[in-house]
Amino acid sequence: MKRRLMIAITSIVLASGVLPAQAGLLDNVLHPFRTARRASGKSASAHAGEVVWSGLVMADNAPAPSKVPAELEKIEPTLKELFGYSHFDVIGQSRNRLVTGQEDWQAASSKHFVLHVDAQGENEGGYIINLKLVQHETTEPPSDQLVLETATKLSKRSPLVIKGPQVGGGQLLLVLVVQ
Amino acid sequence: MKTFEEKWTAWLDDKLAGAELAAFESSLPDRAAAEAEKASVRQLRLLLKRELSPSMMTNEEFFSHQLRERIALGQASTSAHGAHSPWWTVPRLLWSGAVSVAVFALCAVWVMQDAEPLEQSQSLTQVLNARLDPTVGPDATVTMFETKENRVTVLWTEGLKSLPSDYAAK
Repeated sequence: MKRRLMIAITSIVLASGVLPAQAGLLDNVLHPFRTARRASGKSASAHAGEVVWSGLVMADNAPAPSKVPAELEKIEPTLKELFGYSHFDVIGQSRNRLVTGQEDWQAASSKHFVLHVDAQGENEGGYIINLKLVQHETTEPPSDQLVLETATKLSKRSPLVIKGPQVGGGQLLLVLVVQ
Repeated sequence: MKTFEEKWTAWLDDKLAGAELAAFESSLPDRAAAEAEKASVRQLRLLLKRELSPSMMTNEEFFSHQLRERIALGQASTSAHGAHSPWWTVPRLLWSGAVSVAVFALCAVWVMQDAEPLEQSQSLTQVLNARLDPTVGPDATVTMFETKENRVTVLWTEGLKSLPSDYAAK
């Protein structure tokens, strides 16, 4: 009888210590969305000061492929598989630091293309940005032609790749990576 | 004054003597039948004495008997105690606790596994909307998807006007 009483008391003491420790886990289990919000809020604040690399990339099957840019190294296999090209050449690029998340900048440009970025601020898990791809004609007089416009929530976890127009024997790609 | 039955019982037990015995025997209507019955009663008495006499135990038998009784008593008490003991014995408590913790852990892992992809998908890049200018392709379409490998978000366009190779200039 005494032994049972001691075991019962020990169990209660252990449970009183374990339950608060498990409360966090239980809370995560019961409120996954609240946890996601907390995590994403932290992630969003951590975005301040992060660098966004944007690139205009020409993909083709050049006979002598050059070294892939460092920014594309990680996603190169995916690009090859998606678009069927073996060579990726950056024809325009830009790095911009997001501080307030409300910056506007000319992200990347080449002789004929300009990528404009209008940052709308932080949101859960990333930045809301408006992207505009503009085609620049060097005719007289020069003119700009809007090709594509998109609103995107850009996250550090996943890069954004936009398939542009076919150019010669290759393909224009727009790539944005949060570094 | 004794009744006939009392005198009959005493005669059977050989407790009548003298004039009383002679008077009783002379009063019997059938002396031979009475003697036969008396003999029969005597035999019955002897038989009962022989068969119903208490048997004496030796010392070894006595102790053995006592031991058997004690063992039987102990077993009965143990079984009675077992019948009334509570279900929550110490080993059962321990097993129940271990099983409960294991079940809780399994459920927690299962729920967390389900919750994790949701969190991840929420924090990936998402295309909220996209529009192609009709002048660069009247029938151009745009679709969006996400690759499993590297989790690349792709905005896929189709039907844009092709451009000459000099547009690839840096």
